Amino acid sequence: MPVPVGSARPNGPVQKSLVRITVTEQEPDYRAPWNAGTIGRGVGAGFVIDGNRIMTNAHVVSNARYLTVERDGDPNKYSAKVLFVAHDCDLALITVSTPNFFKNMTPLQFGGIPELESVVSAYGYPIGGERMSVTTGIVSRIDFQLYSHSSVDQHLAVQISAQINPGNSGGPVMQDAKVMGVAFQGYSGDIAQGVAYMIPTPVIRRFLKDIEDGRYDRYVDLGMTYGKLQNPAQRRFLGLKDDGRGILVWTVVEAGPCAKKILPGDVLLSIDDHPIASDANVELEGDRVEMPEVVERKFKGDSVKFEILRDKKPMSVKVELTTVWPYLILGHSYDVRPRYVVYGGLLFQPLNLDLVEAYQPQDLRLRYFFGYFVQEQIYLEHPEVIVLTNILPDSINTYLSPYRGGIVDEINGKKIRTLEELAKAFSETSDRLVVNMIGDGPPLVLDPKQVEAARERIKNRYNVMAEQNLEDPPIAKTPEDQKKI
Amino acid sequence: MRTIPVIALGLLVTCVGVAAKKEPALPAAADKPKVLSLVRVNVTGQPYDYFRPWQKKAPFSKRALGAVLPKGRVLVTADLVANQNYVELERAESGEKIAANVHVVDYEANLALLEPVEKKFLDGITPLDVGVDTVVGDRLAAWQLEPTGALVVTEGLVTSMQMMRYPIEVGQFLAYRMSISMQYRDNSYTVPLVKNNKLAALLLRYDPRTQVLDAIPGPVITHFLKEAEGEHYRGFPSVSFTFFPTRDPQLRSFAGQTGKPAGVYVTSVDPNSSAVKAGLQVGDIITSIGNNEIDQNGNYVDPLYGKIEFTNLLTAHAYSGDSVSIHVQRNGKPMRFNLTLEHRSTKDYVVPPYNFDQPPPYYVLGGMIFLELSRQYLKEWGTNWIKEAPQRFVYVDRFQSELFPEGNRKIVVVSQILPANSTVGYEDLSYLTVEKVNGKEITSLGDLAQAVSQPIDGFIKIETHEDPKQLELDAAQVAAEAAALQQNYGISSLQRLE
Repeated sequence: MPVPVGSARPNGPVQKSLVRITVTEQEPDYRAPWNAGTIGRGVGAGFVIDGNRIMTNAHVVSNARYLTVERDGDPNKYSAKVLFVAHDCDLALITVSTPNFFKNMTPLQFGGIPELESVVSAYGYPIGGERMSVTTGIVSRIDFQLYSHSSVDQHLAVQISAQINPGNSGGPVMQDAKVMGVAFQGYSGDIAQGVAYMIPTPVIRRFLKDIEDGRYDRYVDLGMTYGKLQNPAQRRFLGLKDDGRGILVWTVVEAGPCAKKILPGDVLLSIDDHPIASDANVELEGDRVEMPEVVERKFKGDSVKFEILRDKKPMSVKVELTTVWPYLILGHSYDVRPRYVVYGGLLFQPLNLDLVEAYQPQDLRLRYFFGYFVQEQIYLEHPEVIVLTNILPDSINTYLSPYRGGIVDEINGKKIRTLEELAKAFSETSDRLVVNMIGDGPPLVLDPKQVEAARERIKNRYNVMAEQNLEDPPIAKTPEDQKKI
Repeated sequence: MRTIPVIALGLLVTCVGVAAKKEPALPAAADKPKVLSLVRVNVTGQPYDYFRPWQKKAPFSKRALGAVLPKGRVLVTADLVANQNYVELERAESGEKIAANVHVVDYEANLALLEPVEKKFLDGITPLDVGVDTVVGDRLAAWQLEPTGALVVTEGLVTSMQMMRYPIEVGQFLAYRMSISMQYRDNSYTVPLVKNNKLAALLLRYDPRTQVLDAIPGPVITHFLKEAEGEHYRGFPSVSFTFFPTRDPQLRSFAGQTGKPAGVYVTSVDPNSSAVKAGLQVGDIITSIGNNEIDQNGNYVDPLYGKIEFTNLLTAHAYSGDSVSIHVQRNGKPMRFNLTLEHRSTKDYVVPPYNFDQPPPYYVLGGMIFLELSRQYLKEWGTNWIKEAPQRFVYVDRFQSELFPEGNRKIVVVSQILPANSTVGYEDLSYLTVEKVNGKEITSLGDLAQAVSQPIDGFIKIETHEDPKQLELDAAQVAAEAAALQQNYGISSLQRLE
């Protein structure tokens, strides 16, 4: 059957907008955190948008040490730099400083959310190829999905039936010459095969708006858990009518924006004047979406207004939104050096997902502190859970191996809440350091004089380039956060 | 055809005998028994179903051996008779059978004594005495039975003696470790290990791959039998404190110890225990028990076994009610305490470590199934329960003495919620810890039953530690629909309280 000529390139000359990104990245080694890390190379796609910027995925440019871009019909490689990176929604903007690079490139425009079953085309450089590849498919589902780059953030994502593979990442998915999304992750496993996702334009537009002030502020969150209110007895108990409205607040995260303003047991009736149905959906521009979608569209410093029922009395509560930092340790971090302190051959590191993946601890207490860090509000007492992860053997620590995997609670009777406090405790002069670990174990006792005498020996033997890194605290230490914890 | 196995067996026994004679340097070779001192033990049992606590699981059958002891008693391992409904003894040579009762069982020491309903059933069987003189390097003979009833003897070497965790993982007991190439038969539950026609040990576990066998030793068996003579079986004394070696000179110096390295550092003392009453404190260094000095690894020198962990002095050597003197150094000063030894009953735990033969208490309310948290319940998640079971429950079990230092309470949990009219919207919730009901603290199922009977304005309010934090039921609706719920899900009774 002859194909009409006009429909062969429905999205126009995409080559004029597409770039191939080659990245040299360096991934930190959490088991030897003083090392710079292993060097790897990857290829991804990107596309030119207005303002001489190239959009791609955050995971394409994460931990990048050197970036180059190439374009169709040009033999040169151009050095590029990262402008903004948003790890929580897997988007990034890069640029090329070479004059005239963007001169012959066509910036792409963004569209809306594509219709279910409508056809889209994905562009990129899958499996390392050097020439542009196009695949087509239809829009299969529009839903909230886990973004695997951070592995804790959930946002809107669109599932498409077009084949995407490594190298497609960061490439545009188009319809009617407009970008409908950025290809970013796939799923292949026992349950499903060849499931591909793109980041839809509401998430992209939010990112572009967030950085307008020259800084990416991350997504904001309410920091609470809540549940449906479908039990008639519970509804009557709470003083609710049988009108299918309202959700019950379960836990309010103390480090979140709702702390002290919203209480467990409150019933949320509406958010920004959108009634909340008892299954936690709200109507937004004609669509039924989950309640957090209202918050998804907001920025740091914006507010939401809740109508609530507390002890059967209606109230109005305004909440200024911010990032809920304790969630961050549960996700991957990028573009930061691992934090650690080495003292007397003992390696202390704060607990986070990268650490858990590097060491795969079996210890029940450690697994519990990680798994329940937010839900049990462990961060209130231990904003950083400091673990004795490893021991570099030396005569001064030869009897200390049973303490491995322990969590530091106190040093010389002083509570240790952060790695900075640990480093400070070790630097203070004392005759003896008594480190109490959480739980029933014996104290770990060190003689600072012996540690000092062994210092150079241990550093040299194990090639420890630096004895500590206290940069990049995961905790968003704004003054308000400090007050809360 | 029928004669072949008998010939093979005869050869096997002869070979063993010859081998033993060829190596006269080996001490105490096992001898060929002149008389049979074994019976078969057939057990039918039914474990309780903790997910549906009103019922029992499908019955199982186990076939094992029992060692016949004086006074018409038969010794088996406790795990054989756990949750038994019916126990039967069978004479190996004739196949004659008789019902038996469990006279005493100790799941911690993994030993049980059976008694046939008629004593004369064991007439003609020569009972075994228990031997306690086994040392490292001895050869012990494992006695098993052929399907024909003929005895199979396999010899193995005792390679070490150590304090070990027994299957139920409460306390530590002495065990013999042996190297033995044994056929692993379905009757390997209770395999007697014999030296000089005396019962030296009972099989605890055997790994056919590594051919390593752990055995419950004669001294533990003797302790059990002596204790079983008493009117009330009290159990082995519990070590009611935790300790840590003092190999680290920094730790010794911190604890104020001067002089030669010795003793163990006390890291915790169980609440309400004899050790607390005696005056033992965290940070004390225990340097000797009775006349036995403890080294910095926690070992004393046993006259028979050499160096072995000092807890052996408190479990196998001593009895509940005994008083032992403990020497400690506190901040460098020597002190002496008298510790009266006690067995810690499972009832004294916040989360009991095991439960057999007793039905679990439960309470069903409008489709919500309430239980008291126990390790037996967690073990419903299978052998990998530590990772598979709800992690907060596992955490509470493991760290119960830290989390509830006063003890003296239970943890009531919602195990499951059966969909019913009164629980609409709750059916996806499970594994919740109950904190309050109708405003009252809940520290047992009894508390729960009491609190439920006092609704507030017609509602039963259940507050949980985990999300959703609160659940309400309509008291009148729950009562009205109780019979229908029972019938619908086949629940024989809506509650079983102690």
